[in-house]
Formats: sequence, C-alpha cells, structure tokens
Amino acid sequence: MKSGETPPREELQTSAHEFADLDIPREWLEEFEAAARRPLAVRMRYAFIKTYKPVMDDAPYRSFETMEEYRRWCETNLPRWLGYARV
Amino acid sequence: MPAFDYRQAKEIRDAFARHQVRYLFIGKSGAILLGYPDTTQDADLFVERGPENGRALVHALRGLGFSLTDTQAAEIERGKDFVQLKNGPFDLDLVFAPDGIERFVDAWSRHVEVEGFPVCHIDDIIASKAAANRERDRESLQRLRAFREYWLRLKDHSG
Repeated sequence: MKSGETPPREELQTSAHEFADLDIPREWLEEFEAAARRPLAVRMRYAFIKTYKPVMDDAPYRSFETMEEYRRWCETNLPRWLGYARV
Repeated sequence: MPAFDYRQAKEIRDAFARHQVRYLFIGKSGAILLGYPDTTQDADLFVERGPENGRALVHALRGLGFSLTDTQAAEIERGKDFVQLKNGPFDLDLVFAPDGIERFVDAWSRHVEVEGFPVCHIDDIIASKAAANRERDRESLQRLRAFREYWLRLKDHSG
C-alpha cells in the first residue's frame, strides 16, 4: 500500500475508541468507519450517481477562461437550488 | 448516461499514465477516493497546465472516446481554467486553476496515491472547496473537515 492511502479497515488494528478523542459526531464516525471497510470499487459504486442537472447537463462541452468567469456563469444561468451560487 | 464508476476511473488512470499526463483527482471525487463517504456526479481532475501536458491530455481524452473538435482540443491544450466535458463515455470536469491552490506543483508534492490514482491531499481538497465558497459546499465542508481528522488518524495508524 502506498503512502497516504486509506487502508482497508480490517488491516488497521484500530478500534472505535481510538477515534473517541476526535471531535467527530458519532453518526459521521460510523459512516467513515463503514466506508473504510469497503473496497474502493464498492465505495465508488455507492458514491457516483447520475441525476439530470438542468442547464448544466444541456451542453456537451463548456469552457471558461477563468474560474471567476465560471462562477459568474453558474450564478447567472443555473437554478439557485442547484447550490452553485457563492455564499 | 450511467454514473461514473470504478472501471472508468481505471480507464482514466491507465490512459493518462500511458500518455504521461500529470493530473490529480480533486473535489468530492478525490475525497471519495480517499475514503470519504458521500455522493457526487462527476469526476474532477486538476491538470497541470503546460503545452506538453495539454497535448498529452488531449491524446488521452480522444483515446478514451471524448469527441473533441479542433477548437476544443486547442482550448484544453492551452489550459483554460475550467473545462466541462459531457461529450464522451462519462462526464469529466478539467480544472487547471482550482480555487484555493496556488500551483499544481505544490499540490503534487502533497498528493497521495490510492490504488494508483493520484489524489490531492485532503487539505487541498478542503482548501479548494472553502475558497470556492459555494452554497452546496457549506454543509459538506463541515463533514469533510471531520473526515480529515479521521483520515489523518488512519494514516498515523497505517504508518
């Protein structure tokens, strides 16, 4: 295993109490632990979903000279509920 | 189009390796590779800007099945800040200048490898999302920061 990779949970020889001092809500910690037990292929199967995003998905290609231009385009063109507007 | 999957991620990894493209998974897709449990739609790649890397990237994308016009290929080679591809076998966002990260070489020096996938360090993923300052990231940032603590602890345990 290469440096930095999250090892499979069963190889870690750790237990939940080793994370008890971390300021992480219990529910999230359980989710992190469950994810760490899954192989990457399974994690990805659960993680990547496809739902239609209006406007965003309506062009096969877009490019922006700057990130600022892209952010402005999102704020001007996308429905607010998609959440792409800046706070 | 079906959702992005592990097989497609491996196709990117292998094609980019063949063409020697310098890139990193970033954004939520990068965090997911690190072990972060959440959902997302697209893969986001932080690509090093530069003529040689740009050409290699275009060759790799065409090899993967992306239909690029010559104009689009030129824009990608040039490294426009943000390119959104929905003209191939899966959706892909190419980011040449992510918010919150100064230089590719800095992110590369901190990156981690997960099954051969080059991935931005969790700190860079968080920095990028924080700098983007989007409504959709507000809630996820708190959980992502919690994951950072967990992930660092795991790294400590794995040596």
